[in-house]
Amino acid sequence: MNIEELKPILNNIYIEGNKICVNNNLHKTLAFLKDNYYYDMLKSITAVDIKNAIELIYNLYSTENEEEVLISVKVEKEAESVSDLYDSAIADENEIYDMFGVYFNGHENLKRLYMPENWDGYPLRKDYVQDDTRLAWNDNNDEA
Amino acid sequence: MTTTTKLKLNLGPQHPSTHGVLRLILELDGEKILSCEPDIGYLHRGMERMAEGLTYVQYLPTVDRIDYLAGFFYSELLCRTVEQALGVSLSERVKTIRVTMLELCRIASHLLWIGAFLMDLGAVSPFFYAMREREMILRYFEKLTGQRMMYNYFVFGGVRKDIDYLYDIEDIINIIPAKLNDYEKIISENPIFIQRTKNKGILEPELAINNSITGVNLRASGINYDLRNSDYLYTDIDFKPIVMSGKDSFTRYKARLEEIRESIKIVKTCITKLKKNSNFEQKLINPLTLKLPDGEFYSEIEAPRGLASVYIKSQEQDKPYRLKWRTGSYYSVNLLRKLLVGEYLNDAIAISGSLDFILPEVDK
Repeated sequence: MNIEELKPILNNIYIEGNKICVNNNLHKTLAFLKDNYYYDMLKSITAVDIKNAIELIYNLYSTENEEEVLISVKVEKEAESVSDLYDSAIADENEIYDMFGVYFNGHENLKRLYMPENWDGYPLRKDYVQDDTRLAWNDNNDEA
Repeated sequence: MTTTTKLKLNLGPQHPSTHGVLRLILELDGEKILSCEPDIGYLHRGMERMAEGLTYVQYLPTVDRIDYLAGFFYSELLCRTVEQALGVSLSERVKTIRVTMLELCRIASHLLWIGAFLMDLGAVSPFFYAMREREMILRYFEKLTGQRMMYNYFVFGGVRKDIDYLYDIEDIINIIPAKLNDYEKIISENPIFIQRTKNKGILEPELAINNSITGVNLRASGINYDLRNSDYLYTDIDFKPIVMSGKDSFTRYKARLEEIRESIKIVKTCITKLKKNSNFEQKLINPLTLKLPDGEFYSEIEAPRGLASVYIKSQEQDKPYRLKWRTGSYYSVNLLRKLLVGEYLNDAIAISGSLDFILPEVDK
């Protein structure tokens, strides 16, 4: 599939390098690609902190046509969940919530995954500071 | 009047058959599983955050630990991404060395799985047989790289030193096929094993694809998706992907046995190539000046537990701006939510064992 041919069908998209960027209709775009172009596998969701926003990159794969496509969306604190389209998104979105603090609307059970339940902050964000006093190596900050 | 009460049961985190530390929160009605919620994170080491603070050269030795049973695959992924970003192409002999190591590692990993899976089902002796064969491969790795599991043998642009002791590999690939036939005799026709695995844990291809399952588990459900078909290391190596259509635990076991046989064939081809071509030429990258250009880099590989990939965003620094691992086991554990529902508790171990996940890879 040529990503240029999607442009007239899905308005509100633009192409950046090898990625298709969408602004806010992420769920609609993914549902459209799944139904019409057989992108049946969501290989992974990658989150990147780009300082003023979090970029989410969806790596879709079609087992039928053996093609891959990248969808990118920039969000701040909230995003649309695609867990009703792809079961694997449940795991990916939970990890991103845990590490980046992005809240996915429509996800059935968002919870802290790797970090303890009462942990403050999101470790993979660039503005994350490790000053939690519960950590042994942060106890004696003044002496160091 | 009878009333049924649901029972909440914690499986793990220290159960011997959870292959690491995995906690499954099961909801039971009698012995039937109503829902399953995996609780992971007991082994989280922050591999992704760690990458942002270390240079590529410092980070390379740590990536073997992501999956300690198949460390070569993750070193290869990181090396490959850096090489592709810098436009370095490997010499033929180095490529062949890497394929040899990867395939031997795959055999060792699958052998351990066979032993551990049978142990989960209550058969103790196959574990010792499988470990005996795996030991030959680990001995060889130790002889060559100095380490049994954390090899740190692949470096950016080549390998740490030329391959040696080819006669040891020849011994391994001569012995293992006969041993596999022995396994087939004692395992594949064992009525208890068949009863516990045949038609159990049926993984429909649609469910597998929707859950992003890759690797042997997907191919045992009849989908031909093997990344080695398009891998640049495997371009002139003849092999056929193992695709089976049984969908159950037994087929996944069979597929792994066949995959070991196929890997042995690949290793055999590699040995002939290594003997023919002794021109050992490295394209090593100077670690002091190693910086990746601005941009995003992605590469993937067929690891023993499914598709593994790495994404690197670089900003012309000697450290990555963001590095993300995708591992096969993470999705296999997530699949348990769907696969265990409606099964009986005593099958839970057999089904989760047949998916071959490993917890350090899940938690990263």
